[in-house]
Amino acid sequence: MKILRSAAFALAGVTLLAACSSTTPEASDSTSTDGGSSAAEGAEITMWVAGGDTPQALRDYLISTFAEENPGSTLVIEEQAWGDLVTKLTTALPDAENTPDVVEIGNTQSPTFTTVGAFADISDMYEELGGDKLLQSFVDVGMVDGKNYALPYYFGSRYMFYRKDIWDAAGLTAPTTLSEFSDDVKQLRTDSMSGFAMGGQDWRNGISWVFANGGELATEDGGTWTSTLSDPNTIKGLEMWQDIYQNASNLPSTERDVAYWDFLNDAADGGAPEAATIMAPGWARWSIGDLTTNDAGDEVRDGMADDSKYDIFALPGVDGGVAPVFAGGSNLAISAASQHQDLARNLLTIIYSPEYQQMLGENGLGPANSDYVSSLGDDKFAQTMIETAAASKLTPAAPGWAAIEAAFVYEDLFQKIAEGGDVTALAAQYDETLTPMLNGQG
Amino acid sequence: MSTMTETRAPARTGAEPRRGRRPRLPYLLLIPAVAVLLLGMGYPVYWQVITSLQQYGLAQQFGQPPEFVGLTNYSAILTDGYFWTVALRSVVFCLVNAFVTVAIGVGVALLMRAVPTVVRIILQVGLLVAWAMPLVAAVTVWKWLFDWRTGVVNWLLTQLGASGFDGHNWLAQPLSFFLVATVIIVWMSVPFVALSVYAALTQVPDEVLEAATIDGAGPTKIFRWIIVPMIRPVLSIVLLLQIIWDLRVFAQIRLLQDSGAPVRETNLLGNYIYELGIGRQDFASAAAVSILVLALTIAVSWPYVRSLLAEDRS
Amino acid sequence: MSIATPSAVGRSAPARPAPRPSAARARRVAGRVLASVVALVVAALWAFPVYWMVLSAFTPTARLRVTPPSFWPESPTTSNFSGAVTGTNFGSALKMSLAVTGLTVVAVLLFAFLAALAISRFRFRGRTAFVITVLVVQMLPAEGLFIAQYKMLATAGMLNTVVGVSLFYVAAIVPFTVWMLRGFVAGVPADLEEAAMIDGLSRSQAFFRITLPLLAPGLVAAGVYAFLQAWNEFTVALVALPAESAQTLPLWLRGFLAASANRGVDWGEVMAASTLIAIPVIVFFVLVQNRMTSGLVSGAVKG
Repeated sequence: MKILRSAAFALAGVTLLAACSSTTPEASDSTSTDGGSSAAEGAEITMWVAGGDTPQALRDYLISTFAEENPGSTLVIEEQAWGDLVTKLTTALPDAENTPDVVEIGNTQSPTFTTVGAFADISDMYEELGGDKLLQSFVDVGMVDGKNYALPYYFGSRYMFYRKDIWDAAGLTAPTTLSEFSDDVKQLRTDSMSGFAMGGQDWRNGISWVFANGGELATEDGGTWTSTLSDPNTIKGLEMWQDIYQNASNLPSTERDVAYWDFLNDAADGGAPEAATIMAPGWARWSIGDLTTNDAGDEVRDGMADDSKYDIFALPGVDGGVAPVFAGGSNLAISAASQHQDLARNLLTIIYSPEYQQMLGENGLGPANSDYVSSLGDDKFAQTMIETAAASKLTPAAPGWAAIEAAFVYEDLFQKIAEGGDVTALAAQYDETLTPMLNGQG
Repeated sequence: MSTMTETRAPARTGAEPRRGRRPRLPYLLLIPAVAVLLLGMGYPVYWQVITSLQQYGLAQQFGQPPEFVGLTNYSAILTDGYFWTVALRSVVFCLVNAFVTVAIGVGVALLMRAVPTVVRIILQVGLLVAWAMPLVAAVTVWKWLFDWRTGVVNWLLTQLGASGFDGHNWLAQPLSFFLVATVIIVWMSVPFVALSVYAALTQVPDEVLEAATIDGAGPTKIFRWIIVPMIRPVLSIVLLLQIIWDLRVFAQIRLLQDSGAPVRETNLLGNYIYELGIGRQDFASAAAVSILVLALTIAVSWPYVRSLLAEDRS
Repeated sequence: MSIATPSAVGRSAPARPAPRPSAARARRVAGRVLASVVALVVAALWAFPVYWMVLSAFTPTARLRVTPPSFWPESPTTSNFSGAVTGTNFGSALKMSLAVTGLTVVAVLLFAFLAALAISRFRFRGRTAFVITVLVVQMLPAEGLFIAQYKMLATAGMLNTVVGVSLFYVAAIVPFTVWMLRGFVAGVPADLEEAAMIDGLSRSQAFFRITLPLLAPGLVAAGVYAFLQAWNEFTVALVALPAESAQTLPLWLRGFLAASANRGVDWGEVMAASTLIAIPVIVFFVLVQNRMTSGLVSGAVKG
C-alpha cells in the first residue's frame, strides 16, 4: 500500500501545480473585463448590443467619438446573442461590479426589466435626446408611471411582399383596403400555392388584423392590465384573420417562425412559387428574387431586382391608408446599478446625435428620431418601411408580458382560431388566462 | 453462470479492501473530489433549496428582499394539474427513449462483434461523427430532414409511393412530434451506449461462448444467460445515465417546438423548468420543480441505483 | 438487431465439431455478410445527418432547403466558412474552448481517479455516504442553478475565467467519472505493484510502469466523456463567461442563430460553424479511438 500512498501524494502535488498554473494567467484576464474602477474619470464603460444588427462601422464610430468626448475614458462594446439576452441581463444587471452600463434590449422585452427597477430613470434626458420626435410606440413600451427608463434604438418594420407577375396575370393590383386584400389573396389561392402564406401560430403578423380593426390585446387602467380579446373590435379582427388564414393560406396551423420569403421564390426546378403574397420584415428582400452570382462568385438572390415580377405594398387599413403592424426593433437603457451614470449618459447623447441617427438610416436601420428617417433612402423599400413604422404598434407594456411569450399563450390561441375554433368563446377563455398573467400573477 | 464467477474471480483477489489500515489515506484521496463537489455544487444546491421556499422573482433578483413562504411553491405546483400532465408525459418519454436507446445500442454493439474489422471501423466512425456533432446543428439538420415542405423524409416517402406524405407535417400532432424527438434523441445517444457496451462485450471470452455452443445453447439463450449477466454492470450504469439524461431533455424539444408545434401539448419537465425560470422569471417555482424532478429521477431510477449499490457492496 | 447474435457466437466456432460442416459454414458466411450489410446501413444512417451538415456548409444559403433535395454539392462554396470565421471571435473562442476543455479533462481525471482509488481499495466510515452522494448529485437538473452560479463567481471575482467555468464543469462531470474509473482501478490487482517492488522497482517506478498503463484505457474512456461534455456545454458558460472576449465555441455558435430586426439566420454559416466545432472533437477521437473502444467501461465488468 505504500506505493499507492506515494502515488496519491504525487498526483495531489500535480493537481496543486495544475491548479496554480491555471489560475495565474486568468487573474490578469479578469481585471480587463471586470472594469471595477469607480472613479468618475478615466473609467471604462461597457455597452451590450444585441445580435449583429449594429454594423462594425457604427460601433467604431461610437468607440472613437466616446473616447474623444470623454478624455481618459473608454467604451467597450460587447455583442450578446438575442436568445441569451434575458438570461444574461437577469444575472449581470443587478451586479454593480459587472453590470454593463448601457444595454440594448428587444422592444417587447423592455417592460420586464423597467418594472423591476433594473434601469436608471432618464426622463430628464428625454427632451435633449429627441423628445416627441422619438418613435412613440417604442417610447411607450419603455415607460413606467410616466417616467422614461428605455428609449428607442432602431426599428424595423414589416410589410407585404408579392409576386407581381401572378397578381397581374389574375388581373389584380395592390389592394387599398383590408377587405380588398382578403378578397384578392383568397382568389389567388390554389392547391399548390397560398394566396397569402401565413402560419396558424403566427400571432405577431396576425395581430395586425386586430390593430387594423381598432382592437387591442390589452388595456391598462390605474396600473392594472386587462386582456381585451373579447372587445368587439378585437373579435372582428380575429375573425377576419381566421377567414384569411382558412381561405388563403396552405400552411399548417402549427407554423409560426416561417421563412416566408422562401415561398415567394420560384421552386428550385423553376416551377411556380408556393405563395403569391407574404408578410415579412424589410430585410426579407435580400432572400427574395431570382438567383444571381455575387462578387465572390456565390449564388445569391438578387434582392427583387425584377420589379415586374416582385413588388411590395404596405398592408392596407380597414378604410384605406396603412394598417398598424407589429414593429421589430430595440430599445436602449442605462443599468441602474452602473457605477458610471454620467459616462453612460454621455454615450446616449452620442447615440441620439444627428450624425449617429443618420448613420443608422444609411445602414438600413430605422432611426429612433423621425427627423432622420429620410436617411433610409427614397426607394420604395425605404418609403414603405417609414410609412408602416409610423403606423406601427407594439405589444402591451405589461409586467407579465415576458411570461406570456414564454408560455406561448398567443401561439396556442391563434392556432385554435386557425383550426376553426369559435372566436368569441376562445376570446373569453383566453381573457381569463391572460389577465392575471399580464399583471404578473399566474 | 459458473463461468462468469470464474472469469471475474482473479480480478478481485488483489482488490480486497483493506479494513482498518491507514485510515487517513482514503480521506486524503477523496479531498479533491469532495472539495470540487462542495465548491461547484454546494452553494448552488443550497441556494436552490432556500429559493424554493421563498417568493423569488425578477424583483427579488433586483434587490427586493425575498419573502419566506414555506412549502407554498411546492403545494402550488403539486396541485397544478398541468405539472402532473407534464411529469407523466416526461416519465413515459424518458422510459421509452432510455430503453429504445439501450436496446439499439446493445444491438449495434453485438453487430460490431459480428462483422469483419473493416466494417466495424466504418461503423465506429459513423457513430463517432454523429456523437461529435454539436447539438444545435444536429437538431437543425433533423428538423430539415423532417420538414413538411422541403424535408428529405417526406420526399423519400413520396418517391416510394406513399403519396400521403407530400406536405405531411410531422410536428403538428403531439404523438408524431414525440416520434421525431425520439428519433433525434436515440440517434444522439446510441453512439455512447453502443461503444460502451461493445467495450464490455470484448471482455466476454470467446471460450465461454464456444463452450455454451457446444453444450447446445441457442443464440437467444446465450445472449440471455451468458452475455447479459456478464455485461450487466455496464448495462445498468448506461441505462441509469440514459434515464437521468432523458428525464430532463430540454434543448431538443425546445428547438423542435420552435419550428411550429403545439407547445403546451409537447412540453416536458425540462421545458417546464425553463419556462418558469428563464421565461417567467419565477425562480422560486423553477427551483421547486428542479427539486421535484430530482425526487422523480430517484424514484424512476431506483431499481438501477439499487443494483449499482448492491454491485458496489459485493 | 438479433441477427447479430448468432454470428457473434459463430465467430469463434471453427474448432467446434459440426454435424454438417459445409452447411453450417455456408450459414455462417451468409450471416456474416448479412451482418456486414446491416452494419453498413446503420453506419450510413448515423453518418447521414453529419453528411447533411457538411453538405449544407458548402452550399450557398440561397440553395439550402429546396425541393427536390439535392444530395451532393451542386454549386459548392467556401463562403459560409469565411463568413463564419471572419469578423467573429472564432480564434479567441477556440483558444478559450481548448483551455476550458483541457483543464476540465485533466482535473476530472485526476480528481475522479483519486476518489476511485479510495472507494475501490478501502472500506472506511463515510464511504457509502460518498457513493450515494455521487450518484444522486448527477440527477439534479442544472437549469435552475444559473443565478447561484453567477453570484458565486461574481463574488469570487472569477467571472470570465477558465478556472471559474471549469469548476462547474468538473463538479458536474466528476460523479459519473468516479463510477467509471472505480471499476478500472478495482481491476488492477494491488499485488501486481507489490510484486514489482520485490523485483527491485521503486514505488513510483512500479506505479508508472505497471499500474498506470493498465489504467490507461479507463482514463482515456473517462477523458473522452469529459471532453465531449465540456466541449459542447453552453448553459453554464453563458452565465460564467459573460464577456465577449471570454466566449467558448458553443457561445460563438449561438451568435449565428438568432434572426433579428436586420437580417435572417444564415443557415449556411450555422452549418459551417458547427462543422468547424466538430472537427477538433473528431481529431481527438481519431487520436484516442483505439484505446477508447478497448477501454470504455471495460473496467466496470471486472468490478
